[in-house]
Amino acid sequence: MRCLRQLFLVSLAVTAWALHESDVGVVDWNTKLIGVPLHGSPHTAPKFYGDYVLTATSNNVLAALNATDGSIVWRSIYDAEDPIMAFSQHDDSVSSLSGPGGSTLRTYDLQTGHLILEKQLHSQVDGRLHEPQNLGISLLRSTDSSNSTAYFALTNGDSVTRINEAGETLWTWNSPDQASLVLYSHIIMDPSTVYVVGLAKSFASYTLHVTTLLATTGEVIASVNIPANIIGGPSNFVAVSSPTGSATTVCVNWLEDGALKAAVLTPDLKGQVMALPGVKYDRIGDFGLSTNGQFLAIKKGGAAHVMHFDAHASSLRPIWEFGDAAPSQAQSDSHFVGGLSQDGQPRVARVYWSNAHNQAIHQTLHINLSEGKASASGFAFPFQTLDHGVIQHVAFDSASSGETHENTRTLLTTTTGSIQLWQHDKMQWVREEALASIQVAEFVELPEKKVTTPHAAVDEEGYFERLQRQLSDAKNLPQYLANFARRFATGSYATVTASAASSSDEDALTRDAFGFRQIIVAATPYGKIFGIDSSNGRVLWSRVLGLGWAAKVGGIIIPTKMFVTRTVSDPEGPQIVLVTQRRADNSLVDTVLFHVNALTGDDVREENPSLPRVALQGLDAIMGPLVDVFVLPNENRTIVMLDEYLQARLYPDTPSAQAEFESFVPFIHLALRADVPGQRQILGHQLALNLELSQFYVAYPTWTLSLLPKEEIHAIIPNTRGPVASIGKVLGNRMTLYKYLNPHLTLVLTSSPPSSTCGIYVLDVVKGSVIYHASVPAADGVCDIQATLTENWLVYHYFDTEFSGTGQSKGYRVISVEFYEGGGPDDKTKSPELSSYSNKTLHISAYEQAFIMPHGITAISPTSTKFGVSTKDIIVANQRNSIQSIPRRLLNPRRPKHKPTSEEQEEMLVQYDAVLPDDARLVLSHNYEVANVRRIVTSPSLLESTSLIFVYGLDLFFTRISPSGTFDVLSENFNKVQLVLTVAGLGIAIMVTKPMVRRKRLRERWY
Amino acid sequence: MSSPAFDALLPFIIIAVELHGYIQWNNLCPDYGALASAKVLLDGGKMSGRVTRNGNFSIPDVPPGTYVLSVLSHDYSFDHVRIDVSPSEPLPEVRPYIFGTPLLTTTSFSLPYPIMLTPRHKNRYFSPRESFNLLGMFQSPMMMIMALTGVMMLAMPYIMKQLDPETLDGLKGQGKIASIEKSIQSGDPRGLSALLSAGEETKASTPVAKSNTGPSTLQQRKGGKGNKRR
Repeated sequence: MRCLRQLFLVSLAVTAWALHESDVGVVDWNTKLIGVPLHGSPHTAPKFYGDYVLTATSNNVLAALNATDGSIVWRSIYDAEDPIMAFSQHDDSVSSLSGPGGSTLRTYDLQTGHLILEKQLHSQVDGRLHEPQNLGISLLRSTDSSNSTAYFALTNGDSVTRINEAGETLWTWNSPDQASLVLYSHIIMDPSTVYVVGLAKSFASYTLHVTTLLATTGEVIASVNIPANIIGGPSNFVAVSSPTGSATTVCVNWLEDGALKAAVLTPDLKGQVMALPGVKYDRIGDFGLSTNGQFLAIKKGGAAHVMHFDAHASSLRPIWEFGDAAPSQAQSDSHFVGGLSQDGQPRVARVYWSNAHNQAIHQTLHINLSEGKASASGFAFPFQTLDHGVIQHVAFDSASSGETHENTRTLLTTTTGSIQLWQHDKMQWVREEALASIQVAEFVELPEKKVTTPHAAVDEEGYFERLQRQLSDAKNLPQYLANFARRFATGSYATVTASAASSSDEDALTRDAFGFRQIIVAATPYGKIFGIDSSNGRVLWSRVLGLGWAAKVGGIIIPTKMFVTRTVSDPEGPQIVLVTQRRADNSLVDTVLFHVNALTGDDVREENPSLPRVALQGLDAIMGPLVDVFVLPNENRTIVMLDEYLQARLYPDTPSAQAEFESFVPFIHLALRADVPGQRQILGHQLALNLELSQFYVAYPTWTLSLLPKEEIHAIIPNTRGPVASIGKVLGNRMTLYKYLNPHLTLVLTSSPPSSTCGIYVLDVVKGSVIYHASVPAADGVCDIQATLTENWLVYHYFDTEFSGTGQSKGYRVISVEFYEGGGPDDKTKSPELSSYSNKTLHISAYEQAFIMPHGITAISPTSTKFGVSTKDIIVANQRNSIQSIPRRLLNPRRPKHKPTSEEQEEMLVQYDAVLPDDARLVLSHNYEVANVRRIVTSPSLLESTSLIFVYGLDLFFTRISPSGTFDVLSENFNKVQLVLTVAGLGIAIMVTKPMVRRKRLRERWY
Repeated sequence: MSSPAFDALLPFIIIAVELHGYIQWNNLCPDYGALASAKVLLDGGKMSGRVTRNGNFSIPDVPPGTYVLSVLSHDYSFDHVRIDVSPSEPLPEVRPYIFGTPLLTTTSFSLPYPIMLTPRHKNRYFSPRESFNLLGMFQSPMMMIMALTGVMMLAMPYIMKQLDPETLDGLKGQGKIASIEKSIQSGDPRGLSALLSAGEETKASTPVAKSNTGPSTLQQRKGGKGNKRR
């Protein structure tokens, strides 16, 4: 019965708007991303394997890319509390260790990404944190002579587990030293023995500690402290192994006072410490060839030695010197990466940026171990440093390097978050993975297509000139007529279901007939800003954000907010201002503004546009952090920023903007959070000028809202207010409910750990009165409330753990609340224009209903349309990685609990049902997977009925939706052929009957 | 199937079980390739486990309590299941749970353990598009009436010719046909209905032709004309 009713409800909701299979890829697009590779550790950095590139990323994704075209072969998304610590690849499987201390082992099929095995090695709460995070976590796989495979996982820095292919734990060895003085970081194995190598803390320095285990049972063979005096910390020792026939010889190397020392390990750990005399080294490191006996040692002067451990002779010696590897004015620091060529010989690639050539240099070292020879050769490749920043990591496809450089493939990860594959000196593909971490994004409308070129001097031209011009204009007439005839015959008009992308490339940036084609400007924390075509998801332009003075010390730019300051209707063309916080590496924080032309990405403040494009230079607006920023609702869209002393700074800071700002000052009310120790407060502020204190307007508190002790403020969300089409709702009995449209409403989300509740407040920011307050249980003390406030409608979502009461159940709840003026229908207080100081502002009535949802949501937003006439649906992103719309009719808080009466039916109310239908036809993203959504941005199009939706998170997704159906265009099942046929048929009928009637009339006259 | 894990570091023993289960492949969802990456959640994600290639899943370290188990799959819907883990029982109890009903019901029966989950339906995201069809166009009542009208208009003179002269006289006397033709030309639907019922009326109205006056003056005038002609 319930199913039937739900089906009916959904069909009601869906009839207004439905998605067709032919619309896929036409009205929507989806960009799948993986995130920027984690390049800090060799355990997670990108690696080549055959034609695959494997990497773990900062978005916590393990992914396999196709090295030929850069497409995603597969990806596996990990939870936020389960960070990827290490991954490794063997034969046709990829394994990963994730979670605190490496708590979970997962194995995937290399070709398909299918999960083969998931195994928890230790509980997440037992995970120990080290610095860096993935220290003490390592994974090995071995295949022994009987072809059985085993995983050896070093987790938490103190335990080794052997797991067989089916996921059963064969043995676990825990370090007896529970006081964690020894932190194991390397695990190496030969067929019978497992060597676990780590550092032990001693006074002021570290010593090495090695334990050997029997591979079959995990029994300890020996455990020895090697006397070493390592100052630099955990990264200053290298364990290498070298295959000698069927066995493996292991050698640990470390630096002691600049001297390189080494110890060859045997299972019983009896041996001598060797020293390499004469040469002083600065640091040593693994560069990908540690299982082949090679590592890198950097001399004090900067020269880099490739060291080789020869297992047969038990000797350690440098086999090649890169003499000029030191970073200098002429060149950047070098990236070294090694690998084995197809015939098993080591290859070393060195990549650095040369200021002298203004190109990146790639050097390949060919080592022939059997002949004891090595040779290096190189080439330059045109890395675009202006567009992609600095090379941060290099992965090298050593199997591709032959005698020539033709096929040499390298994969670069840059500071702007792009992944590039270079084959010799040509870039094969680039992935802009910074888009997986967009911070702010806005829609910007495009200008209309210019139909005619303007004739400047029409008034002054003579007769012949005019004739000539009109003739030249008329040359398009036949074409126009032909077009018209074709249009009329085929009915190919601009339709809402057609792609908004421009058909030809040359008419660059113009909107389509309905304004579906806009530019999405998106700013990322990787110092890059993108202009994305909303019709197909292509990146139209991108600019690197310059660091300003912080370029010398380094730093990052974190976008805070973006404002569209000029639109297409302004003569300057659309412009945006990006407000960012620049965190320099010397811990100074500044507020920097970037003013950009939204169509081209050009710097608006740049006076000389002919200069070659360099990184965007920002304006250091405030020397210090930003507290709040908003834009004045005037024509100039002046941006007001509050610095840490609550002084109001303006951009642009012109006298006219200042004057306008002063006229707005009495109407500015702000809600800011204040952190008094032990007590959180929300303070209402107004602005005033006191020249004794400051030359700027300073915010002073006007009211205080004290929260419960230890209640934390999570978010202050302003009311998303578009145009309001109607101020009331006419009921079935002809009475009117007037919407409570107080323009000063703000939503505040809090959490209160002592009582394990989450708070939802709706405040009037003028006087701090609480319009609505709800307290909901926090699931496991975590407040994960998603909420949105639009006009007079509040929708929020939380997980309710309460199930012991009668009729209760655990699950996700969606609460829909509407505020109306006065005590009931026909009670009007004129809330939109009511003074905030009137007592009537609190005279409201709220309608509230709760619904349950099967899955949690990660982002929520209402649709927005040009005039606000269409109903507002709620768009949510759910845990199933899809984007769904919830029709307003289902979320109406006035749904009757009984069978709707005729009056209620007149209002189109449907009977209340707690379960919100989980219908696939409400899923906007259909087959696309849109993962880890952080925000949903909606924007009106030129059609009142249609709202544009852009979703960002790990993936990008764009679509358009008509919540009330496309009432302002011909319906998609409007039949042009039928209309033409009918009209033609009537015409023929008239032609046939007219002479008949005339003849008849004539006959009638005669008689 | 379950293994109580002991945590030696804590002074008291926490009993936690590892939940095991599997996806029962069926016609809707024959294998892992169709299901793609799926996750089994307890209480909306507090604890979770992923479904592996052979359909199995396990959720480790589940402390005692009552949970709702759900499956996160992009394209498939699964039933929810209620799981009771009690410190005294070694195996968790599995009960069916219908989403939207109270969690604690006494009458529910137990399902077998390990948990078996069956894909219930595959999401269908698209509605079929209404396509143009010539036959369908002529099946609509409006079109049928229009076609009939056209046919009648063309056929009427021939029908009238073959009519009995007396009946024709009767008809002409009322001027009915003329008025109908007029009203069809002016698009009046009443004329149409009159036309449809004309056949019956002719017989019925002949004897009382004189007393029957038309509904409008126009018809009267026409009738008069006809009389004059005779």
